[in-house]
Amino acid sequence: MSTKHGRMGWLFASPYLIYALVFFLIPLVWSLFLSFTDWNLISPTFTFVGLENYMEAFRSPGVQSAFFVTFKFLAVFVPLVVASSIIVALIVQGLPKFKGLFLIGFFLPYLASGVVSSFIVKGILSYNSPVNEFLRNSLGLDINWLGSPFAALFVVAMIIAWKFTGYYALILTSGFESIGTEIYEAAMIDGVTPWQRFWKITFPLLYPALFTVLILSIGVTFGIFTEVYQLTGGGPNFATNTWQMEIFTRAFSNLQAGYASAIAIIASVVTFISVFIIRKLLEMWGKRNGWS
Amino acid sequence: MGGAKKKGLWFRYLIAVILLLIMIYPYIYMVLNSFADWDQVDKKLFPTEYSLKSYEWLLGGGEAAIPRPWLNAFFNSFIVSGASTLLMMVSAVMVAYALAKMPFKGRDTINNFILFQMFFPAIILLIPTFLLIQRIGMYDSYWGLILPKAMSLWAVFMYTNFFKAIPETFIEAAKLDGASELQIMYKIVLPMSKSITTVIFLFLFMERWTELLWDMLVAKSDNMLTLNVLLSQMFGPYGGYPGPLYAASVLLTLPIIIIFLLFAKKFQEGMQFTLK
Repeated sequence: MSTKHGRMGWLFASPYLIYALVFFLIPLVWSLFLSFTDWNLISPTFTFVGLENYMEAFRSPGVQSAFFVTFKFLAVFVPLVVASSIIVALIVQGLPKFKGLFLIGFFLPYLASGVVSSFIVKGILSYNSPVNEFLRNSLGLDINWLGSPFAALFVVAMIIAWKFTGYYALILTSGFESIGTEIYEAAMIDGVTPWQRFWKITFPLLYPALFTVLILSIGVTFGIFTEVYQLTGGGPNFATNTWQMEIFTRAFSNLQAGYASAIAIIASVVTFISVFIIRKLLEMWGKRNGWS
Repeated sequence: MGGAKKKGLWFRYLIAVILLLIMIYPYIYMVLNSFADWDQVDKKLFPTEYSLKSYEWLLGGGEAAIPRPWLNAFFNSFIVSGASTLLMMVSAVMVAYALAKMPFKGRDTINNFILFQMFFPAIILLIPTFLLIQRIGMYDSYWGLILPKAMSLWAVFMYTNFFKAIPETFIEAAKLDGASELQIMYKIVLPMSKSITTVIFLFLFMERWTELLWDMLVAKSDNMLTLNVLLSQMFGPYGGYPGPLYAASVLLTLPIIIIFLLFAKKFQEGMQFTLK
């Protein structure tokens, strides 16, 4: 019985085993191997250069910027998307009718391809667009959206926040639904202000769902590529140069396959450690306040 | 229901509608500009003159030096996303069924390894995966676009959790009736997982449909390009013709929105379950 089960089990699991071998283990070893060579993606020969790629990487402005840009994105994108999804969830939550319909509507941006949303935003922010005309003529602001470092980072963060807001609001709404109405009624009787109600009741009870949203959005931050590639190419002056962008440029534009592999390994280690630390901090913060 | 409460509710709906309009405005902007007269594209919030010129230009080649294969790219996107998603679904169901319902030696090891791989930053695999595809002669082919994306660990994880919740009694009963594992999976377990299947399908299809980085690396020749890659390539060269690019954006966005809306009700039911 158990042997029969055993064979069937392995058979059913075999797609994963094959996939893990071909598309995970082999590339992983290959990546490590490449990172110690000076291979240029094309030529038949290469030499081992030891740790030179790694030394080079730590010194290069591209890698340094990627490291800091990721944290800048964390600081801008995560609060942006969390705040907007909480607002959407709070508003939709109180609707007795059509709640599902609204949630579906807010989810629609998630379906946008990064190429499309980048193109639309480029149009909305072009020099003669209504938005910029308004800013120039009414407020005297002439913003070069993709030409100044902070504005470019902000625009990219905005596009991605727009994409994920509805999806995260959906997660938060299910968190809201686990909060009973009785607790609010009790609070009403006690004469709690709306502000207190949010911080003392809603927020702590929402924390598990919020934790999910935070983890998801942090994961998204470490994988930003399409919008940056499409709109800024990592510029201006490396201001939006993410890990993915740096690796892509090095490997497939400059053909430095060995060097790019070293950067990919550094990026993976940095990502893994950062996400791990942030996660632990969030868990501690939640526990200390007794939310989770 | 007092008057004040009613008023508050109206106000809430008003805010919700305004917010929703702001959120989907980029889509509205895209559609309007794809139909707008060319000298009004990107000049007005709501264009006043409309024409079909952008679509004619896009699908007929217009005055472009080289007509681009937009329709062909559209079909490529469908073939690649469809095949990829189907493979991801089938493989996820099989593996998850083994992990959830078949006690065998080494199962926990596989389970742990999947978790390990899930938390592993995928960026490290990009270059060697590309080289691998090149070496086995799948560069610039459907296989190269589909195979590396034929499995989703997220889907395996979701299905495994769901299957674990299905009571053993169903499966035991079917076994006594002499049903094989495949029959049990297909006739009992899968029909019970309809709503979560919808959710997983939609997420996988959306993700595959909007993928740029991998498709950009693998698809090289004109007849292999997916819609996303083609649109991305035309950003610069078509810069002076934003109208057709808006039309292409509509072409790229509309199918996925239609598919999503068709399944929206089931999607919501499934989401309720997955988020618990």
